[in-house]
Amino acid sequence: MSAVAARRDRARRDPVNLLLGAWGVAVFVFLFLPIVMIVIFSFNEGRALVVWKEFGLRPYVDALDNPTIRNAIFTSLRAALGAAVIATVCGTLAGIALARRPGRWTIGFLALVFLVLVTPEIVDAISLLIWYVRIGGPFGPDNTILNYGLVRLWVAHSIFATAVVTLIVRARLAGLDESLEEASADLYATPASTFRKITLPLMMPAVLAGALLAFSLSLDNTIISSFVSTANASPWPVYVFSAVRAVLRPEIAAMSTLVLLLTLFALGLVALVLRRGGASGEEAAAMLVGVEAAPGAPGK
Amino acid sequence: MAEDFDGVKILAPRATVQRMTRRHFMAGSAMAIFSGSVLLAACGEDTQTGGGSESPSAGGEVEDQLNFFHWAEYDDPAVFKDFTDKYGAATKIDVYASNEEAIAKLTASAGTSGYDMVIPTGVFIPQMVSLDLLEEIDLDRIPNFKNVDEIYRDQPWDPGNKHSVPKDWGSTGWIYDKTKVSSTIETWNDFIAVAQGEASGKTSVLDTPGNLAGIYFWANGINWATTDQAELDAAEEFTVNELAPHIKAYDSYPGIALTEGKYALSHAWNGDARQGLLSTDEPDRYVWGLGAPVTELWMDNWCIVKGAEHPNAAHAWIDYICDPKVSLTDLAYHGYNTGIIGVQEEAEAAGLEFLDMVFFSDEQVATMDPGAVNEAQQRLVDIWNKAKAASA
Amino acid sequence: MAGIENAEIEAAETQAAGAGVGAGAERPRRRAPRFLLAIPAWFLFVFFFAVPVLFIFYYSFGYKPDIFRTIATDHLSFDRYGDSFSDTFRDVFSGTLQVSLTGTLLCLLIGFPFAYWLAVKVPARWRGLLLGLTIVPFWTNFLVRTLGWLILLQPNGPLSGVLQDLHLIGSPLDILDTREAVQLGVVYNYLPLMIFPLFVALDRLDPALREASKDLGANRWRTFRQVTLPLASPGVIAGLLLVFIPLTGDYITALVLGGAKGNMVGALVASQFNTAQNWALGSAMAVILILMILGTVAIFAAIGLVGRALIQRRRRVEIAVEPA
Repeated sequence: MSAVAARRDRARRDPVNLLLGAWGVAVFVFLFLPIVMIVIFSFNEGRALVVWKEFGLRPYVDALDNPTIRNAIFTSLRAALGAAVIATVCGTLAGIALARRPGRWTIGFLALVFLVLVTPEIVDAISLLIWYVRIGGPFGPDNTILNYGLVRLWVAHSIFATAVVTLIVRARLAGLDESLEEASADLYATPASTFRKITLPLMMPAVLAGALLAFSLSLDNTIISSFVSTANASPWPVYVFSAVRAVLRPEIAAMSTLVLLLTLFALGLVALVLRRGGASGEEAAAMLVGVEAAPGAPGK
Repeated sequence: MAEDFDGVKILAPRATVQRMTRRHFMAGSAMAIFSGSVLLAACGEDTQTGGGSESPSAGGEVEDQLNFFHWAEYDDPAVFKDFTDKYGAATKIDVYASNEEAIAKLTASAGTSGYDMVIPTGVFIPQMVSLDLLEEIDLDRIPNFKNVDEIYRDQPWDPGNKHSVPKDWGSTGWIYDKTKVSSTIETWNDFIAVAQGEASGKTSVLDTPGNLAGIYFWANGINWATTDQAELDAAEEFTVNELAPHIKAYDSYPGIALTEGKYALSHAWNGDARQGLLSTDEPDRYVWGLGAPVTELWMDNWCIVKGAEHPNAAHAWIDYICDPKVSLTDLAYHGYNTGIIGVQEEAEAAGLEFLDMVFFSDEQVATMDPGAVNEAQQRLVDIWNKAKAASA
Repeated sequence: MAGIENAEIEAAETQAAGAGVGAGAERPRRRAPRFLLAIPAWFLFVFFFAVPVLFIFYYSFGYKPDIFRTIATDHLSFDRYGDSFSDTFRDVFSGTLQVSLTGTLLCLLIGFPFAYWLAVKVPARWRGLLLGLTIVPFWTNFLVRTLGWLILLQPNGPLSGVLQDLHLIGSPLDILDTREAVQLGVVYNYLPLMIFPLFVALDRLDPALREASKDLGANRWRTFRQVTLPLASPGVIAGLLLVFIPLTGDYITALVLGGAKGNMVGALVASQFNTAQNWALGSAMAVILILMILGTVAIFAAIGLVGRALIQRRRRVEIAVEPA
């Protein structure tokens, strides 16, 4: 047996490694246990979610049949799409400005971004509720073009997400060598052309990661949504939250399982695209959680 | 002196004749209006028509959506579906657990909430009207209003039914698990004793300020509409320091949860407790008790929210729900007396279960007190907030 | 000598810059104002975050005029802050801090070994897949994940049954609606936020550094303490912040799993706006919540900085300068 193989075998049987491995498995079980519960109980044909009656598909039928649930999911998706667009555009531009055009304004802007990230959701929720009603306009019934409830959700969900995208893009650009862009300028490319052909493709993974993160943050947003949503635009988490305070039914688990399957599918697709684009499995996974935005995490 | 109310006889001095209302009155002036309308209703003409429904008079085309701001499990989903099939308006229900919550949301949204219908308890309606939260209801568009029993119309808090149409009325009591609570609970004092003893840490109370303070007042023979400082102080002292630490949850809909084992003892409304009994395989294991010696009498109403975007659908709904057959179906689901003429006989004929929890006897009604929304309201909300903090 | 080198470098730079400028001098180089690109985000933050929150600050000095109206600001005072610090509410503030500090610590203790295992011990070809698996709960709806625990912890539920069969508990599991259930729930919900930055930090650690440490004779514990941990510390700090800050403001997990015992400050604020209609008191409590979070972070940052300065002082190696 070669020395390397012998060392590998020893490493495998090393008690510390075994312990760490056991811990890893335990944490995985811990992480997935409630999700497994939800999936199992989505087949519960009882009246209450938490009490098992018998196995069946009725919750799925009820969930898909229930217009309130269907509306809630569609509203969530539409809100998330809008919020992701706003957050990605605003955040990317801001990230570029911070990375490429820093100045005296940078410190003030970063302080504002920091405040946005640090403020608890409940404070955002109450302040926006009062504010929306105060300014009316596109956020009130006067808005005849768009569903004003949806507009409220778009803006509310995009605030935190914009801050996150800003930091992600900034971190990515700061890590990039500016010499590539300078070389492009030296070769007579206009600033716009440089941006389009050099900068944008280089920071695209960060932009995509930010967009994904903004989308998922919006889908998950419960507290702010429950305060600012209107009857005609109330997203899925608000429905579940009010069901928690009243009566929980298996349809909720059924719809959640469907959403989970969709999410897994989307995640798989994105990972595939990233892998094709050259990122390793790890980089793809890391990008999916926008870890490059983690404050203090060392830049590439 | 006996007053005749279409089949329900109450022996009481004229001054204290109570009408079937929910929870509270406005003190002072309300009493005056109340006495006046008692005269009106008592001397009212015989309106025993009952029977079929008419189609609503055309006030305009029914829109395609109707948004409810509602209590939980308060109408049969089949009824909503049937309404949608009949009128083409899809229904959407958002839930609240107390009148205070509903009013707070509607006030904060100032007309932008998007809701069309709200179902407040009667005594809160004057507050909502003065805050300009409710639209006027056009009774001409609700021909089935004639099916609503006279007793329930023209309440002191909404004379002429300008802003509300009665939905149902009910009362407050308790429900407990015999296998977990060995003593019998006959009065509020028994309830408190068990909550502090056998069922400590396994008791739920209603998530509303009035009902919470009511436990203390009713147990001590105090009128729960009191504004006396000393009595309110005593209520706070008791509720926050002696009751709150034993509370497991503030739950306005504990019926089903209790029969699933979450609580041993629950403060509950009669219909919700009944839903718990209907959902379990062992109804004999649980005991419902009406609050004694005094308890609440509340009445919930259909109201249209100010700025409602679907007023035609709203009127169509109210007319639809006042149809006796629809009302009976709904009653079978939620378990509260809907006040439609003849509904009690229909319910008995249909053989619905646990009707003793839906229809009350005269003696029982005599123990029910509607209460009032008065200057003490803010204090009651404070007590409720502090109790919740103390339970944590 | 150094001076001549510097001068040469400077000359070279000027030349390069000149070349760049010279080449571009023929085209008008319009550089946009520095902050132009950041204006949309700036507008979003100022108009929909800063101003509304400033209103909350303003309202916190007001009062509730009567049972019908929510706020009046003609008399400004600190009274609402006084109300917030009354006995019963004070307990909620301290309880919240307890839950969130404990929760953050537990997340660190659970998450660090896991992240270490994933980043260092797991073979590279499995790492991406396992990390992806870790992401899946993170992408499931927050509330739904909590409901999963609600199902699991029911007195007549699966966990209760298993524990009773194993004779680990004598009667049905009664953990719901207790502080413990809340603690469990928050640790679960925020664990991924601790794992990810830790993973990134540990992943970027060059294994050669650890090998070098071992070659120099350090045992694995010493290597961990003096090489791995310090290099991973940015990730640790990121994880602590990412968990502590949202956890303190979160009240939904507590509401679902904790019942009456799950009263966190966020729920207090929410109830002032949702039911009590006392915007002044709610705003005051919200401001206190913000200060609580910022204050705790500041205190720990200060402790960290002082601690690090002390450690570095102790570790400083004096090198005597040999006279030339």
